[in-house]
Amino acid sequence: MPLVIFVDDSETALASTRMVTNSMPIEVKQYTEAQKALAEIKAGMTPDLIITDLNMPVMNGLEFLQALRAHPSTSRTPCLMLTTETKAELKEQGKALGLTGWIVKPFNPAQLKQAITRVLRLPA
Amino acid sequence: MVDEMLILNSVDELLSHIKDVQKDVISLSNQSLMMISSFIEKNALEIDNDVATALQYQDIISQQLNATIEAIDSVQSSIYRFSHAHQADENLVVESMKKLQDKLDAALAQAKDKKSRFSGKSADNNTDSDEIEFF
Repeated sequence: MPLVIFVDDSETALASTRMVTNSMPIEVKQYTEAQKALAEIKAGMTPDLIITDLNMPVMNGLEFLQALRAHPSTSRTPCLMLTTETKAELKEQGKALGLTGWIVKPFNPAQLKQAITRVLRLPA
Repeated sequence: MVDEMLILNSVDELLSHIKDVQKDVISLSNQSLMMISSFIEKNALEIDNDVATALQYQDIISQQLNATIEAIDSVQSSIYRFSHAHQADENLVVESMKKLQDKLDAALAQAKDKKSRFSGKSADNNTDSDEIEFF
């Protein structure tokens, strides 16, 4: 099964995504700190899709994305930003770093599922 | 000037109290949502759009309150610097007062910007569409 990792400093946000994705044919790993997800990637984890929050302490979503792009195994891995942020300037920064898409919270469960299905090319 | 300094001290104490209340609210709302989430997951209940939205509002509430806590920190820091400048040299009071006002204005502007930015789809910011934006 494809591996999808979620990174969000909010436990409740992670619980929401977990409840929405638990019926999907994917393996899910969740992290409250981007640096911990990055450490596992550097240790050999190869996610098929990364979904990250933007505003997080220590390492924010854009810094995480930059680090992912600098690592050979995730330089082209699809990444979605899942955030309350709506600033066009930040979206542009994400786009320049090769972000796949931008989802504004609160997300619609059906559309989050559709986005994952589309990016991973899962059977609809 | 002594009276003004006492007022500032009271304002500072009030701001500290507001911050404490906000931190408690963040913690309680987080605990509350985690209990609800745990119940839903344990009973393998499927959540609909409304429930998913309600669960995600907690994240927005936390971010909004944290942004106001940051604004209060900034205001308290400015009050602290103003108080110390005044103690060091009373002649600097007028200049320090102007600086304090500027800092307070900046803190308010930053807090208002964060209120808009962290509101997600609940804000009046042209994000009423449910479409996910792909690049």
